[in-house]
Amino acid sequence: MTAFFDILLGGVFHAAVLFLVAAGLQLVFGVQKIVNLACGSFYALGAYFGITSVNWAVSAGVPPSLFLLVLLASGLLLGLIGPAIELLLRTVYDRDEAFQLLLTFALVLMFQDVLRYFWGATPQTLGNYAMEYGKLSVGDLQVPTYNILVILASILIAFGIGAFLQRTRYGRILRATAENREMSQALGVNVRWMYTTVFTLGTVLGTVGGAMVVPTAAASLDMPVELVVEAFAVVVIGGLGSMRGALIGALIVGLMRAAAISWWAEIEMLAIYLVVIAVLIVRPAGIFGKPIE
Amino acid sequence: MDSKRRKLLHAIGGTGVVAAASPYLSFPAFAQNTPLRIGIIAPKAGIAGTIGECGLRGTQYAVAEMNAAGGIAGRKIELIVEEETNPKDSIERLRKLVLQDKVDCVQGIVSSGVSLAMGAVAEEMKALLVFWDGTTQDGVKETLRNKRYVFCSTDNECEAVMASLLVVKHWKGKFKRVAGINPDYSYGRNNFAAFQALMKKFGVEHEIVAEQWPKVGTTDLTSHVAALKAAKPDLVFSSLLFADLPIFMRTSHGAGLMDGGTKFAFPGAGFQHTALKKPFTPEGMILGHNTLYFDHPNASPMQKKFVKEYEDKYKDYPNWEADRAYFAMAVYKAGVEAAYKAKNAWPGKEDIINAMEGVKVMSLGGPGEMRKDHIAEQTFYQGLSTHKNRYDFPTLGNIDTMYSTQLQKPAGMDFWEWIKTANIKL
Repeated sequence: MTAFFDILLGGVFHAAVLFLVAAGLQLVFGVQKIVNLACGSFYALGAYFGITSVNWAVSAGVPPSLFLLVLLASGLLLGLIGPAIELLLRTVYDRDEAFQLLLTFALVLMFQDVLRYFWGATPQTLGNYAMEYGKLSVGDLQVPTYNILVILASILIAFGIGAFLQRTRYGRILRATAENREMSQALGVNVRWMYTTVFTLGTVLGTVGGAMVVPTAAASLDMPVELVVEAFAVVVIGGLGSMRGALIGALIVGLMRAAAISWWAEIEMLAIYLVVIAVLIVRPAGIFGKPIE
Repeated sequence: MDSKRRKLLHAIGGTGVVAAASPYLSFPAFAQNTPLRIGIIAPKAGIAGTIGECGLRGTQYAVAEMNAAGGIAGRKIELIVEEETNPKDSIERLRKLVLQDKVDCVQGIVSSGVSLAMGAVAEEMKALLVFWDGTTQDGVKETLRNKRYVFCSTDNECEAVMASLLVVKHWKGKFKRVAGINPDYSYGRNNFAAFQALMKKFGVEHEIVAEQWPKVGTTDLTSHVAALKAAKPDLVFSSLLFADLPIFMRTSHGAGLMDGGTKFAFPGAGFQHTALKKPFTPEGMILGHNTLYFDHPNASPMQKKFVKEYEDKYKDYPNWEADRAYFAMAVYKAGVEAAYKAKNAWPGKEDIINAMEGVKVMSLGGPGEMRKDHIAEQTFYQGLSTHKNRYDFPTLGNIDTMYSTQLQKPAGMDFWEWIKTANIKL
């Protein structure tokens, strides 16, 4: 039974990590209809900046136990690059999707060089901060408390965004704009400002996600591309543009991966993409996506 | 093994005198006016970026040292550095260095995927190429049997063979259930297979209870660790050696895999030694430092000087790639100078290659030589980890030293056959 819960928690933790990457991708596509390949770069940027911030804060006398607050603050602060990037994206809003993909892929490459310039090629880690809050132990089952915090944060973010989109006035306007941009504009909605807000929120999801996950992993120049590949599997399964889809998609991918690793390690990726293919055949728009017209 | 090391040190002592006297030797004026151009191809980013960076620092140190002592046979050395990426692009950079920059020698390469493809191209182009790392083996089978222009490092399996021998030496009879977590490419697969073959050779009764093959660069190993823990191993053998290694250790510590006296052997840990922080790495693990153990109390004065300068300059401690890069440069220098001496004129490429075959040098980590079949022999260091040191990461409590003639197959022999028949001493 301990082994089962170990594997289950491993899968849920990976799902939480994937959700944090996929959530920004979903939000931006849902409203702005842009497939933002650079969402993985925001995640990586958050991870690197988080490490620097924690190291700086601890050397400045901040108690190590407050590192989580430092990480959150650094992620939020870094989200301020969102409006500048969105300004760049305005040049391709009304152009073919290929241009949008090219521009966001160019951003991935540019950010990779930015990371290399400031932090070098060496993968960076945060030492043992993830164990600062100890472990939760039930019998033989042991899990770092920090991993549970990451899982809870992902759930909180998922429900928070859901509530924001469904229950608030701004969220309703935002959904209306996603449905019909011209009509919203005609009714007096400041679409340009709305896009800036949404893109910044998507960026913050990435940067905060990267900052939160880095104590359990490492920041490396390859992480933007690696995570985006898995995040796309999440998006295809859950449905492009759906936040609920991102959550369920991430859970399916995370649990499938954990199960495959435990019972048949060689088919780790195959198992995930078999689900992707099955979803594309049975429900091409994804579990929560809108049917393609 | 020790007498072999002493003989080599004696032999190298002679060449060391020549090297020390080189600033006072006279060389023709024309030679001194034109620098030797050496191309370096090394990774600067990605999973091997750290390793390439350390190798490049080793090369730069060697060049600064050699240039200060008069260069190679009186000619200063000039480096042209290119990036190692995928095989196709790296080969294009080799062509550029040879055809456009007209370098005298190319050195570098960390990835076996690149070296395997590049070796054949260098032979075709008749380009003198000395690898830092990597191999021209497909798995454990040599693909370039009669190398002429390509000089290779020691076989990749050396560290796995040595770690396996230490497992037998320290833990025979103390474990039965074995789990492996190794990178999912030929290096990881061959290392784990070599470990099992050596357990069989030494009659170590064991059972493989779990095998994990994470792809290189995986940053979330939670599920892999859960699977290992479920198998309840007594011993974990892992050839992880990139950024995934500290992640694995930290995750294992968090999940309790390191509780209960589970033993760990990490043949390639030296690449990540400074990232393996004490709080999540227990004492008594087998750690491999390959051909350079930076904290060796009996290190040569040249290693101690290098480590000190490295620490002062980069606020870091070098791994074995610095030694591999230094070794490559030292072998080339020794070859050129021996050929120059024999000819009493600047030697051609063929003369240099002939002189490099069988040459013995003193590298940063210890003595080494280039075999006639163009495979290096070097000194390897591994041992049991300790926390009793001035660092925030573990070092070696007791150090085992082996020369690679004990760790790699001789020229032309099949690796698995060698393991079965070799007279390997513990």
